[in-house]
Parts: sequence; C-alpha cells; structure tokens
Amino acid sequence: MPLNEWIPQMAEGCIITIKLFITVFVLSLPLGLILTFLYTTKNKAINGIVGLYILIMRGTPLLLQIFFVYFGLPYAPVIGKYLTINDRFTAGAVAFILNYAAYFAEIFRGGLLSVDKGQYEAAKVLGLNDMQTRFKIVLPQMFRISLPAVSNEAIVLIKDTALITAIGLTDLLKVTKTIVNRTTNISAFAVAALFYLVMSYVLTLVFKFLEKKFSF
Amino acid sequence: MSLMQINNLKKSFGQLEVLKDISLTVEQGDVIAILGPSGSGKSTFLRSLIDLETVDGGDIIIEDNYLCKDGKYQPAKQRRETLKKMGMVFQHFNLFPHMDIEKNLMLAPLCNKQADKAQLKKEALDTLRKVGLEEKLHEMPGNLSGGQKQRVAIARALMRKPDILLFDEPTSALDPELTGEVLNVIKDLSKEKMTMLIVTHEIGFAHEAANKIMFMDGGYVLAFGTPEEVLDRSGNARIEAFLKKVL
Repeated sequence: MPLNEWIPQMAEGCIITIKLFITVFVLSLPLGLILTFLYTTKNKAINGIVGLYILIMRGTPLLLQIFFVYFGLPYAPVIGKYLTINDRFTAGAVAFILNYAAYFAEIFRGGLLSVDKGQYEAAKVLGLNDMQTRFKIVLPQMFRISLPAVSNEAIVLIKDTALITAIGLTDLLKVTKTIVNRTTNISAFAVAALFYLVMSYVLTLVFKFLEKKFSF
Repeated sequence: MSLMQINNLKKSFGQLEVLKDISLTVEQGDVIAILGPSGSGKSTFLRSLIDLETVDGGDIIIEDNYLCKDGKYQPAKQRRETLKKMGMVFQHFNLFPHMDIEKNLMLAPLCNKQADKAQLKKEALDTLRKVGLEEKLHEMPGNLSGGQKQRVAIARALMRKPDILLFDEPTSALDPELTGEVLNVIKDLSKEKMTMLIVTHEIGFAHEAANKIMFMDGGYVLAFGTPEEVLDRSGNARIEAFLKKVL
C-alpha cells in the first residue's frame, strides 16, 4: 500500500477534523456554562426552556441535527432565509456546538452539585458576595470536578467529527473513503483508524496533564 | 452596652420547632460554651447568629446593629456590614481545597479590600504563626491533618479581625489525639480576650476555658451561668443526666 501517497492526503483531511474539533470545543464549553447558569437560576420559565433544549439536543441524533441545520433551516417559515448557512463547515460546526453545549451543560451542572455546601457557607461568613463566591470558590471547584467528564466528551468529539462527511466536507474520513474508492484497497481505513487513535491519545495526555495540574 | 444581644429567638424547620425561646446577652471577652444533647438546637442557634439560618421570630443585635428585628431581616448588604466583625469556624473546616493556605487566609480580606496585598501577606504569615503552622503557608489543604486544617480555619477567621468568633463543634470531626491542638488555640484566644461562642461536647474544655455555660435542651435555655453553677451544682435532673452520659 502506497503509504507515502496516502499519509499526506489524510493529514490534509485531518486539518478539517482538527479545525472542527477546536472550533466546537472552544465555543461549546462557554455556551454550556451559560446554559448551566440558566438551568440553575430560580426562574422556572428559563429552567423549563433550557431543560427542553437539553432534552432535544441529547434526545435526537447528532447526524440528524447536522442535516437539520444545513438542509432544514432554510425551509423554516418566515425566518428561514435569515437562518440559511451556505458554508458547510459553518453549518456543521453550528450543529456540533449546539449539541455539545447541551452535554457540557449537564456535566457542569453535575460539577456544581458536587461542590460542598460548606464552601458556600464559608464564603458567606467570610463576607464574600455572590459574584466572588461564584467565581473564586464555586467555579474553580466545579471545573476541577468536571474535568474527567469533559475529557471524555473531548475524545467522543474528535471521533464524532467524522459525521461531517455526511454534508460533504473533506475531513479525514472523507479523504479515506475517496482513497478506498479510488484504489479499491480497504487498508486505508486502518490507517485512518490510526490517525484517530493518535489524536485521541494526544487528548488523553493533555487532559491527564490538566487533571494533575489542577488536582487538590 | 453588650456586644451581642439576642431576644426570644424562634425557629422551625417545617413542623419541628428547633428554637422555642432563646435569649442571650454576650459581653466583651465572654467565652460561652453552648452545651446540650443533640437535637437541642445548639448548632441552629449558633448558625442563626451569623445568618446561615433564618429565624422566624426574635431579635439579633450585634454591636448595636440589628441583624433581624422581631424576625424581620435587614437587606443583604446591611446584614453583610453588620456581620463584618463576626467570624465562624465549622465542624468540617470548609477550607477552600483549590487554594493553598496563604490564599485561603488572604482571599476574604482581599475581596473586602481590608488592606493591600503586601500587608495581607505579612498578616497571613503572622496569623499562621499564631496557630503554629507558619511552615504550612504554601501547602494545599488536602495535605494537612484534621487538627491542622481546623487551626488554619481559625487563622482564616482571624484574618478578618473579628470581635466575635463562633465555633460549631470545632473538634467533633477530629481524631481524639488531635483535639488538644485545636482546643489550645481556642484557649490562647480566650487569654487575648477574644469573645467566643463555642458549641462543643468537650465538657472538660468547657469547664476550663469558658467563663459562661449555656445549656440548651429542646429549643430552650435550660441553664445559663458560670461553669460551676451550671455543671457542678445546677441541681437540674436533665443536666445531670446529660453529664452522666457524656463524662
């Protein structure tokens, strides 16, 4: 098998994969955090809306959501023409971000619940106000508690990026399929698997490092 | 004028009346040990003094400021101002696990703009020296023993220069051999005339270190007076039965 030809092509496909991963990861984390805050406010209406959002995002296939954003949104009545995303990468990234934010929101909510109530009490008797308590006491602990679950999601995400093939982006999987079709040699799939494995492994190492750095 | 005045506190959790009618006057320099069987409302009473529990009725007056008057509370900002000179030490320490000891000590004074950073760094070291832990300045709380954690928690409370310190069972989560180091720190504070209210099960310590004992039972104050009056010759059957059990 002509690896010297395949590897540069696949590496190029990896660029889209990695670009999508970074875009989604960087934008869905803060969005997830905002959702967590909205989900944990005392306003019942806001809680309900966020709860419904999370239910839909987690309860339907990501592939379907990608199709919906890319193919479906333009057909929405009245507002459809404002929601049309012609760029495939952007459309795919939007679907991924909306989906992953829902998962991150739930992870952060779990982290929030794990912060001991004694921490809030200590902050209160020391005269910290709500903002100081949230940003200096609660959030750092929430992030630390959430880190292993976030790490898990990151590894799922790097593999999920392969779904983007479905709307015709030339990511690692698409490049590999093209090679297989052209050469009728399915061993290219094994090489692609190795690529995914290496990326997952790098992520594992990064998060292990972060967990160690922020351990307490 | 007394340092703290508490009149007719009432507090229920649902159907359960935890505080039925509690009044107390705290004078400057008082060390008051609060004793009583579990479920008598000791902790709830102490926590209500620093706004961790909301009472249903009665007054809490701290250094001439109302925290609550007839069960009605001041707005949050005013309450924070009133409680500025109060500190609290918890049974489970509640140190901030993600910060080293120095940051634990400096966080509140920094947030409240008590002094500049250099000054606070110096104060943190001095305060830590007071509880005998200056070498732990840059340790994380997770690396300390229970007794050390509690001494750090006391130091953290002292950083705000409180006039009144509340202790909620400060040694109950500690191994027996570690209670001594914490009790000694509290005794040192009493020598410096720090006003303290201490919920405890350490009768010997209460007898020795407190100048007043408040004995609670079933949401009432059963007895209040010097350790001799309350512990040695109260003549009260409930108190004697309690002492027989714990001693």
